[in-house]
Amino acid sequence: MPIRDQAAKDKALSDEELVAELQRHMDADRFGVLYDRYSALVFQKCLGMTRDRDLAKDLTHDIFLKAFVNLGKFDHRSKFGTWLYRITYNYCLDHLRKAQRRRTDDIDEHPVKDGLADDRYEAELLALRAERLGAVLEALDPEDRALLLMKYMEDLSVKEMMEVLELGESAVKMRMLRARERALGKYRELYPEEA
Amino acid sequence: MSENPFKIIRPTDQVPDDLKKDVMGSVKFVMLLIRFVQLFMADYSASVFDSVRLTGRTDKDPRPPDRGNNTP
Repeated sequence: MPIRDQAAKDKALSDEELVAELQRHMDADRFGVLYDRYSALVFQKCLGMTRDRDLAKDLTHDIFLKAFVNLGKFDHRSKFGTWLYRITYNYCLDHLRKAQRRRTDDIDEHPVKDGLADDRYEAELLALRAERLGAVLEALDPEDRALLLMKYMEDLSVKEMMEVLELGESAVKMRMLRARERALGKYRELYPEEA
Repeated sequence: MSENPFKIIRPTDQVPDDLKKDVMGSVKFVMLLIRFVQLFMADYSASVFDSVRLTGRTDKDPRPPDRGNNTP
């Protein structure tokens, strides 16, 4: 088949069909179609987490390479986008943790009580001024930052977050609650005059 | 209600143009490595099996004469 026809055919395939083809036969050009579809999302996610354009570029490169090497492990139980998002999240988080070399608190995964589901901190967090929110996010633990970005910047549902984080619903809600609490704590530390 | 501040600070930067070239170059290099490893492993296993000789008895092996029943 002529190369141009093959490229047009690949572009018409869904993500999962493309991955299935790649699992049968490795093909760099076919992987390029997946790159074109997801590079902006991955790059912006990395940029959101690192706030460093050069670093985000390096991380995006590594994430796509990691995805390519691990394509054989994709089991088609989730969407390809979710699977790639999970790699992105874990890779960025690992990198930031190593870079910061700071202790992360163990997160308690007890079930969330019903009353906590209605998060009282959300309104307060969403009322922050954008430039101050940026400073708060910068000062936060990478994991908390990633969770807040997932929820409020990328509008992931709890179900999608459960898939990305490979956690149960109550654990996701508990982590979100803690992340919001810590974000507001940082805000009060940074801007005591407004607290 | 005010706008979600997370949306305001959302990065809108475009992906660097040269990144695709870098990624595809690395992908092709990895493919080359995988092919090389596959080739090496295929030869390696073939060479291992070449040096293995089956010594177990099979039905097609010539049987020695049955010494117990040679009386007419």
